Amino acid sequence: MKTLCKLATFILMMTVLAVSSFAQETEKAPAAALANLVEGQGIIASTSNPQWDGLSELVLIPGAALMGASSTTTSLYLGFTGGSEADIGNMVVYEVPRNGSTVIKVEKVTLGATQSPSINLTSPSVCPVQPVSATNPCIVRLDTVKLSLTPAYDFYFAIYFTLDTNNEKIAGLGQSGAQGALSGWFLYGDQTRIGVKGSIPTNEDSDQAPFFLAYVTNE
Amino acid sequence: MKILKFATLTVMMLALSTFGFSKAAKPENLVRGIVGPVTSNVSWSGYSTFALIPGAGLIPVTSSTTVFYLGFTAGTQVDINNMVLYTTPRGSLTISAVTPIKLGGVSNPSIDLANPTVCPVVEISAFNPCIVRLDPTTITLSALSDYYLVVYFTASDGNDQSVGLTTPSFSQSSLRGSYQSGDDSRLSVGGTIPTNLGFSAQPYMLMYVMTD
Repeated sequence: MKTLCKLATFILMMTVLAVSSFAQETEKAPAAALANLVEGQGIIASTSNPQWDGLSELVLIPGAALMGASSTTTSLYLGFTGGSEADIGNMVVYEVPRNGSTVIKVEKVTLGATQSPSINLTSPSVCPVQPVSATNPCIVRLDTVKLSLTPAYDFYFAIYFTLDTNNEKIAGLGQSGAQGALSGWFLYGDQTRIGVKGSIPTNEDSDQAPFFLAYVTNE
Repeated sequence: MKILKFATLTVMMLALSTFGFSKAAKPENLVRGIVGPVTSNVSWSGYSTFALIPGAGLIPVTSSTTVFYLGFTAGTQVDINNMVLYTTPRGSLTISAVTPIKLGGVSNPSIDLANPTVCPVVEISAFNPCIVRLDPTTITLSALSDYYLVVYFTASDGNDQSVGLTTPSFSQSSLRGSYQSGDDSRLSVGGTIPTNLGFSAQPYMLMYVMTD
C-alpha cells in the first residue's frame, strides 16, 4: 500500500511539473516576429498605372511560393504612389486549388472593419510622408485576415476601385522589376463578387508585377 | 486499490496530454515551385527532361525527406524508363551523388493517367493538370549543392508519344529546366551534366519540391 501511495504521489508530482512547464513555455513564448509568407515586391516602380476608377486588380499569391512561415493570420499591404483618396468598392481573397482557377472559398478583406473603405492618402496619420509619390510611397496595412495560407492552394487577392473621380488619380507602387512571387493584372468591372465554384478570370497580362499589393506577411 | 486506479488514470491523462502536444508536420515548400497557369507540351518518347533545383533558391525549411511532384497535361499512360536526382556542388556541373527517384517503389514506373485514383479530374488537360506525387526521397537538400531531377521517357513508346507535360506560363519559380533526346538518367558520380543544355527556362513537368 505504501509503495502504491508513493507511486501515485510521484506521478502526481510529475504531472504537476509537466503541466507547470508547459504553462511556463506558453507564458515565456516570445511574440511572433514579422515574417513574409511569400516574397513581396522589392522595389518601387509605379509605372503604367491606368485610371483605376471602375477597375479591379487581381493578384495571385501562389501556394507554391509560400516560404514556410506558419501563421493562422495573413496581413496584406497596399502601396500607393499617387492620388488623394482611394475609394475601394470591395476586397476579397479567393482560394483555389494550386494552379487551378475554380474558387473553393471566399474570404472577406477589410480595412477599419469595412470591405469598402475610403483611404485618405493626404492624411499624415495614414501616409506619414507627404505628398505621396513613387519616392515616398504610402504603405497601408489592411486588417489582419484570419486565413492560414497553405502550399496546397493558390490565393487571389481582388480589389475593386469604385467608379469615381478620386480613383482616376490614384496610382499603385507596382509593376516593379523585382516582383517577388506576386503577379497581378487588372480588369474592368467589379471582380470581387465571384462566388464559390466560380472561375477566376484569365490573366491576360501574364506574370506582371501587381500594382497595389506589395507584401503578404503573417501580421 | 482506489489509489492504483487513480495512478493509472493519471498516467493515461499524461500520455494523452503529451500525445496532444505533438503535431504532424505539414507539407512545406523547399523551393518556390511553379506558379500560375500552365500550358502543355506533348510527345516525350525517347527524351530526358532536366529540372534544376538550385541550392541558392532553397527556402530555409529543414527536412530529411524531399518529395517531387510531376505535372501531366495529356495522354493516358506515361512510361518512365528511369528517374534520378543528381547532386552537384553549387554552380558546378560535376555530379557528386546520384540518388534514385521512385514511384511505387520503382524508378521505372508506368503511370495510368486515365485512372481517377491517380488523376482525380479526367480527362487531364492544361486546365486540369494531373499532379503526381513521387515517393519521398531520403535526402536533405543543402544550400551548398545544386540538384538535377532527370526523367527519361522510354524510347519508341506509343504512350509517351501522346504524353503532355506541364509547361509553366509564369516566370517566378526558382526551378529551371531543359531537355534533350536520349537517356541522360544514367550518368555516374564524377560525370557531367550536359554542357549544351540551357537552364534559362522553367522546367517541364516538375511542379513542386516539398517536404512531404
